[in-house]
Amino acid sequence: MRIKPRAGDFVVIAVIVISAVLLAVSFYQKNSIEKTAIILQNGTVLDTVRLDRLEGLYTLDYEGEYPGTIEAENGKIRFAHAECPDQVCVNTGWISRPGQIAVCLPAGVMIRIEGIDADGSDVDIIIK
Amino acid sequence: MKKLALNSILISLAVVLSYIERFIPLDLIIPVPGIKLGLANIVTMFALFFMGLTSAVAVTVLRCILASFLFGGMSSLLYSLAGAFMALMVMTVLKTGYNKAFSILGISMGGAAAHNTGQILMASLMMRNAAIFAYLPVLLMTGLVTGLLTAIIAVNLFSIVEKNKSVKLI
Repeated sequence: MRIKPRAGDFVVIAVIVISAVLLAVSFYQKNSIEKTAIILQNGTVLDTVRLDRLEGLYTLDYEGEYPGTIEAENGKIRFAHAECPDQVCVNTGWISRPGQIAVCLPAGVMIRIEGIDADGSDVDIIIK
Repeated sequence: MKKLALNSILISLAVVLSYIERFIPLDLIIPVPGIKLGLANIVTMFALFFMGLTSAVAVTVLRCILASFLFGGMSSLLYSLAGAFMALMVMTVLKTGYNKAFSILGISMGGAAAHNTGQILMASLMMRNAAIFAYLPVLLMTGLVTGLLTAIIAVNLFSIVEKNKSVKLI
């Protein structure tokens, strides 16, 4: 049996695509001169790392139900090790562009990169 | 009594599908938390189309609780409940236009998108941070593909079940 699409199906698809594009545009940030990684656990800032000024290897161990280690070098940052069951955070790999995030949902830890773009404006988006 | 038995079968089927889904490493291709095929949504759709809303709610809630307790852990319960309930809500609304405005395709895709939105909403509440919405565009687009896949499976399943005449479309 084949699917017989109705007109409404295309409306659903259009709504999904349009909202995806609008969201993507609102989160897109230009290449930055300054890059700061913000490490948050359940809304509290654990540390901020200036990725563009990083010398050598940076590591941070976080505690909690599912502890883990974050490392940064050469303008990029990642979850190096985590004891969470799904390992999605480790599989995300390195992130380096402003607007990118890496998240460990079980541990409630998020790495977010923010930057000042080449135009000199220091605020791209404010999310409350 | 027959309804109770069928509901129980649906719940166990959904739990098994949630389990199998964990072995499909979709997040290695697209490294976004919570990315899944949404196979259990086929069961939700079946319950919604053949058993009614009460049954669909029961199957969804019990499936989420069982799957989280068995394989996911407590933190995954809130995410799966948020996603599953959003999906159920949207699919219930879209189903009112079934065969007129929408086919299984639109209902399934709408359900997938709602599921992702629900999970991201819950995640942003839990992490007290909206930055996680950056994942939503990717999830929405992949939801179109997984929604199509589940729609194909559901259409075939529904036609077999209807021929069998043991349960009726409502």
